[in-house]
Amino acid sequence: MAKEIWVLAEHQEGKVKGITFELLSGSIEFSKQTGQKVAAILLGSGLEEATKSLIPFADKIYLLENPLLSPYTSDAYESALLPLLKEHEPSIFLGGATSTGKDLFPRLAMHLETGYAPDCTELSVNEEGRLTIKRPLFGGKVFAEMVFSEARPQMATVRNHTFLIRENPGRSAEVLPIPTRLDPSSLKKRVIHLEKSPGARLDITEADIVVAAGRGIKGPENFKLIEDLAEVLNASVGTTRAVVDEGWRDLKDQIGKSGKNISARLYMAFGISGAIHHILGIGTCKTIVAVDTDPNALIFNYADYGIVGDLFKIVPALTEELKRVLAS
Amino acid sequence: MDIFVLVKQVPDPEATIRIKTDTELEIENKYFTNFFDEIAIEAALRLKEKFGGKVTVLTVDHRRVDALRRGISMGADEAVQIADPALEGSDPFAIARILTAYLKDKPFDLILAGRQAMDDDSGIVGIALAEALNIPHVHSIIGLEVDPSKKEAKVIREVENGKEHLTCPLPALFTCQKGLNTPRIPLVMNVMKAMKAQIKKVDSASLGMEPNKVGSSSLQVKVLRYLPPPKRPPVKMIKEDYPENVKILVRLLREEAKVL
Ligand SMILES: Cc1cc2nc3c(=O)[nH]c(=O)nc-3n(C[C@H](O)[C@H](O)[C@H](O)COP(=O)(O)OP(=O)(O)OC[C@H]3O[C@@H](n4cnc5c(N)ncnc54)[C@H](O)[C@@H]3O)c2cc1C
Repeated sequence: MAKEIWVLAEHQEGKVKGITFELLSGSIEFSKQTGQKVAAILLGSGLEEATKSLIPFADKIYLLENPLLSPYTSDAYESALLPLLKEHEPSIFLGGATSTGKDLFPRLAMHLETGYAPDCTELSVNEEGRLTIKRPLFGGKVFAEMVFSEARPQMATVRNHTFLIRENPGRSAEVLPIPTRLDPSSLKKRVIHLEKSPGARLDITEADIVVAAGRGIKGPENFKLIEDLAEVLNASVGTTRAVVDEGWRDLKDQIGKSGKNISARLYMAFGISGAIHHILGIGTCKTIVAVDTDPNALIFNYADYGIVGDLFKIVPALTEELKRVLAS
Repeated sequence: MDIFVLVKQVPDPEATIRIKTDTELEIENKYFTNFFDEIAIEAALRLKEKFGGKVTVLTVDHRRVDALRRGISMGADEAVQIADPALEGSDPFAIARILTAYLKDKPFDLILAGRQAMDDDSGIVGIALAEALNIPHVHSIIGLEVDPSKKEAKVIREVENGKEHLTCPLPALFTCQKGLNTPRIPLVMNVMKAMKAQIKKVDSASLGMEPNKVGSSSLQVKVLRYLPPPKRPPVKMIKEDYPENVKILVRLLREEAKVL
């Protein structure tokens, strides 16, 4: 029997995340080759809105509701998922390369003694449903093309924006509630509270567009210029380690080797020299724009479009121009 | 507090990596102690300074012990090298199995590791080890407080929309992220001493590892081939004067790159 392709549905405040729709869209493409069914695996409590939004994107939704599954902890998710995984033995199990996916998948894979590839940037299946992936090594200096052995499920976490979200006219998932009993005493970790980041912007790993400034911005107060640009583009704001080390921006916004890898559709760098440590974090961005006063700045070697110029002139003009054209 | 810290010597981010054959890489001999592992060592040392106890640095590597020496020079008490040519080609899960075999009957309160090693960037070993030892883990922590009397830790973990504050009973395993602390720079004198420090060597046979559970025969995901990063098209420099250049950039982003 053709085993299923599973996608771990991630959600935040009742809303399913973009990465989940991307992975389901990719899985549906795979299923056209393999004839397998695609299932979204949804855990938590108060999942009505999330369930509804997933219906056009899968064949099945396994719904695991229990107050102990909200908020996410690896203990609770693992306890709930292992019996289901053992029962159904899916062929593929995908998750986002997110704080949840990277936390949970290694534990599950170790327990199931199966294969797991983290942080994938390309995936394909053959007709038998065998998964081949590509992933960056050494921060993206080299990529490895890797294939899974016989063990199932074939588990992978995938970077944001690896697949495009596609609507599926006519698809309507069957919702399968799975009774989920959890023993509270077996759950060891407890989330006390979530200190939410100020502002409503997506994390830089999730955002479609990221605009960033480096030390060329000269001081924390000048980030206002970048924030204004981000506002027009509905982008998130990133930065370099030099800026974080100065204390001008929070560590969560650092892009690069010791910060985050981003896969934005559009990345714009202002006053960023392009040290290899930074570049390694933007390798899988689609379009890169660089603006720097130094014509020899390394960043230009990696950009698609470059302007040699003063960011203090370029950024406000760019914000105005975008306002004008995006309004029309 | 008895603390084990998992450490690894990895290629420096500036080292050149060359694809030698489809399945073989040539790595320039420029290594450093994994950035995140130093943060883990620092965290362990601070706990020891506060509560007493012992810090042991532990590596699975039959070639390099520099990360262990780095740990000793920073102030770790003991260093253990699990070394065996039979481990060549092991993936992170096999490394976790080896570490499990070594640690399963050792007493400890805490295991610390880096968020990921800056070579294959997998972030698996620590978490898989916690699974095999059946202890809780928290991945990518940026805050840590321990209450030894309650055998409990309060940790802060980075998530996409903020910072999650958790409690976790000990023994546990935490992987450490930048922001947790700034690792100390060892004194030259201590670096010299660490060069001569005793390193305990353990082989995999003595750990009772089955040969098919380690090395390249245990792989569940295999490299077909290594590839250079996808080539980027050459940069298009917009040479027109300001403010014409800004207008052109916006036009290119809309009409050529189609990203707006
Ligand atoms: C182990 C290790 C890990 C690291 N990890 C990271 C990482 O994760 N992320 C990271 O970013 N870095 C990392 N670094 C640091 C990295 O090597 C660089 O030091 C850092 O990226 C430089 O930041 P920057 O580009 O903001 O600053 P700079 O290199 O100082 O560049 C500033 C740029 O601004 C330009 N400029 C100045 N004024 C203007 C103006 N008015 N208009 C336009 N341009 C202007 C300058 O010409 C220059 O190119 C790491 C380093 C090490 C050793």
